[in-house]
Amino acid sequence: MILQLNHLHRDHAAASAQDVIAVLYKLLEEGHIEQSQFAHLQVHLDWIQYRQSFREAVTVTRGSRERSERDPVMEMHVDARQLVSDSLRENILRAMMRANPGPVGNDDRLFLEDFKSFRSSIAWEFNRLYWHRLSDWERATGRGYEQALPGGKSDANHPDAIADCVADFWTLLRDLENKKQLPDEIFVLEIGVGMGTRSRIWLDHFRKLDQARGTRYYHRLKFLLGDYSLATLERSRPAVKDHLELCSFMVLDALDPMKTLSFLRHKILHIHLTNVYDNLPDEELASRNGRLYLVQARAYITSAESARIANTFQLPTADIGRMVNLLLENGPDCFSEHSRGVAFWQEIWKAVRLEERVVSLEDLPDAVLPAGLHLSHLEEMLREAPVDFRFHLSSGALESFRNTLPLLYPRGFLQVQDIFVTDLNEYRLGFHGPGKLDGSIVNWVNGVLLREVGERAGYDVHFAPFRYREGSRTSILYTTQRE
Amino acid sequence: MNLPILPTTVVGSYSMPGWLERMKTEYFGRRISRHDLDEIHETASKAAIKDQEVAGIDIVTDGELRRDNMIDYFVERFPGVQIDRSSKKFYYDFYESSVVGKLPMASLGLADDFRFLRANTERETKFCITGPHSLSKRIRNEFYPSEEAFAMDLARVLNLELKELVKAGARLIQIDEPYYSGFPDDLSWGVKVLNTMVEGVEAKIALHICYGNRYGKPSWEGSYRYLFPRILDAKVHQLTLEFARRGGEDLDLFKEFAGSFDLGVGVIDVKTNAVETPDMVAERIRKALEVLPADRIFILPDCGCFHLPRDVAFAKLSAMVEGTRLVRKELKN
Repeated sequence: MILQLNHLHRDHAAASAQDVIAVLYKLLEEGHIEQSQFAHLQVHLDWIQYRQSFREAVTVTRGSRERSERDPVMEMHVDARQLVSDSLRENILRAMMRANPGPVGNDDRLFLEDFKSFRSSIAWEFNRLYWHRLSDWERATGRGYEQALPGGKSDANHPDAIADCVADFWTLLRDLENKKQLPDEIFVLEIGVGMGTRSRIWLDHFRKLDQARGTRYYHRLKFLLGDYSLATLERSRPAVKDHLELCSFMVLDALDPMKTLSFLRHKILHIHLTNVYDNLPDEELASRNGRLYLVQARAYITSAESARIANTFQLPTADIGRMVNLLLENGPDCFSEHSRGVAFWQEIWKAVRLEERVVSLEDLPDAVLPAGLHLSHLEEMLREAPVDFRFHLSSGALESFRNTLPLLYPRGFLQVQDIFVTDLNEYRLGFHGPGKLDGSIVNWVNGVLLREVGERAGYDVHFAPFRYREGSRTSILYTTQRE
Repeated sequence: MNLPILPTTVVGSYSMPGWLERMKTEYFGRRISRHDLDEIHETASKAAIKDQEVAGIDIVTDGELRRDNMIDYFVERFPGVQIDRSSKKFYYDFYESSVVGKLPMASLGLADDFRFLRANTERETKFCITGPHSLSKRIRNEFYPSEEAFAMDLARVLNLELKELVKAGARLIQIDEPYYSGFPDDLSWGVKVLNTMVEGVEAKIALHICYGNRYGKPSWEGSYRYLFPRILDAKVHQLTLEFARRGGEDLDLFKEFAGSFDLGVGVIDVKTNAVETPDMVAERIRKALEVLPADRIFILPDCGCFHLPRDVAFAKLSAMVEGTRLVRKELKN
């Protein structure tokens, strides 16, 4: 057995490494764990999770029993923070029993789907629903989504950060002008506009700077606000009311902004995104014993929870799955009473968990890596990476990134503010999602892969910690043209 | 040259297959030998020539698949240029290189590449070579008193090389100078240097100027207006420019400034995988015919097809040939 101490906070831990080892030995002696399993088991402690997440306090992930599995992977993740005192043995035993084939199966879970790559999981349908029906959710909770962020507000709107961004942009414009390469129309794009606050501050700063320096760039601006939710765009409009003559509002798919904006290929001088990548569909890979595995997931609700929800909403338990599908298809109006629909949505979301397994990529010949990332590139990167670790593929972020870059004017730059893992070693130091943030998913973004894909697309990718607020976990990614 | 009206050609490079990229990386990682890599290059080059022939291209190149990029293939051959071989992450990156003494006059050995091309096709051929201005922008000058002086010496060496190519049978040579577009103020001396390079070279000379194609994206933007009128002093027979991606507005410059050049008209956008239809190509050619007669127009993509997937490159070249046939037919009628 390998015990891996990822990030142990002794003070908060309800179980120590010694406790876990003692329980596992006991279960071995009692015959609940086979000797061979015990030998192969990798135990990750402490697997700190988001306060709201998709996992139980102890989970066991194992390899699917495919033909290529000579030495099935089996790993246990222990979230000491979630554990209640004296429940360690019970949790470990339950997780081990579930992972083993046999009569004790999954009859205490209501599955909402089959195993699939996390990217395709129903969990992302909930995320989509949240953004499309945001006002329904907010009305029910009585607070705006920005208030749900850690700290109650978004770093995106920090005036000093925006002032620096504007100053950098102005310098770029002046430089291009000196080289006679500044186009007549100066396109700027903000993807994921929130309440429009950042766009407003940015435009205010820019106008002020432009006036102070007498450069007359402001009136050449074409400021595009893009979001995949029309409702969000509508909400951002009043914020930029002083600049409306420069602004255009566009519904666009953050995964592929080119679909909407192909007419602006190579024309946009600055593109900015905040907290978009961490909310795009993702999947994870695990590197184990020199092989790569895709982490597959299936969403479930515990039988106890489904019974409780059925009771609350006066539904037959057997109807829960059907109602979830209706909810995701039609929104909370799937109930005749709208408020009941929203309440059902919130209860289900709270209860949804993910069961996981890993499947060797060799057994998934059709598994597709995000465009721009070839398996050989990935293998090359992993030569320098930690042994046996699990990492985000950040497929949605990579897709978005790769489909955004062609919009950039030569020497134009992209800036992304988000929660990035900038060194693969960080994956050995803790848990980086997915977690639940209000009704949406939050997930760290693999900046190392973005850097790799960016370099191959002709951009150097840099990360700077967000220095404007102490304790902020976000970083700023920015691109420079690779010569 | 025995060519149809509106001859079709390519700018130089053909699609770089992903597997060839990986083989090059294997070579840099010392996992395959130079001999093996040379064989791989030869095989890939033959396939590139064949693809151009099958697509129906009238004047073919070797596809430039031996070249990591438009700079390093030459830099490695210039005696007197020092290279930091650790400066490259991907094979496609530029080396950090510098010149620390006077460049000696010596052959770069490019005629062998031309002979290989000549031996593997019956079609008319074109050989492409990076010009002294672009090379001077990538090699750090630590010896010459000015960029111009450095570029002039590069031109002298390249002049010798062009003559070697002509001796080997080259009749159409293209000089690539995309860096003009990034440094338009250099044009005054850039043309002087170019003329030194082509002096006494008994071949048809084409000059390709685009807005860059590094990593399949432009390095600069602007208008070709910066070329005029200085470019009229260039002792070349053809200007090869990009019009597909950027639109045909700058074609009017050829009305405004009457030069004696033929015009290589870029009708294929090489910075997108979307394949043009023959009709789109034909429309772009018709636009060029509004400013120049057909016997002064060559048809080609905006730039090299290096970054396009092979199937896309082939489809684009096929569409280009088909579109050209449509216009030829109209002209005949």
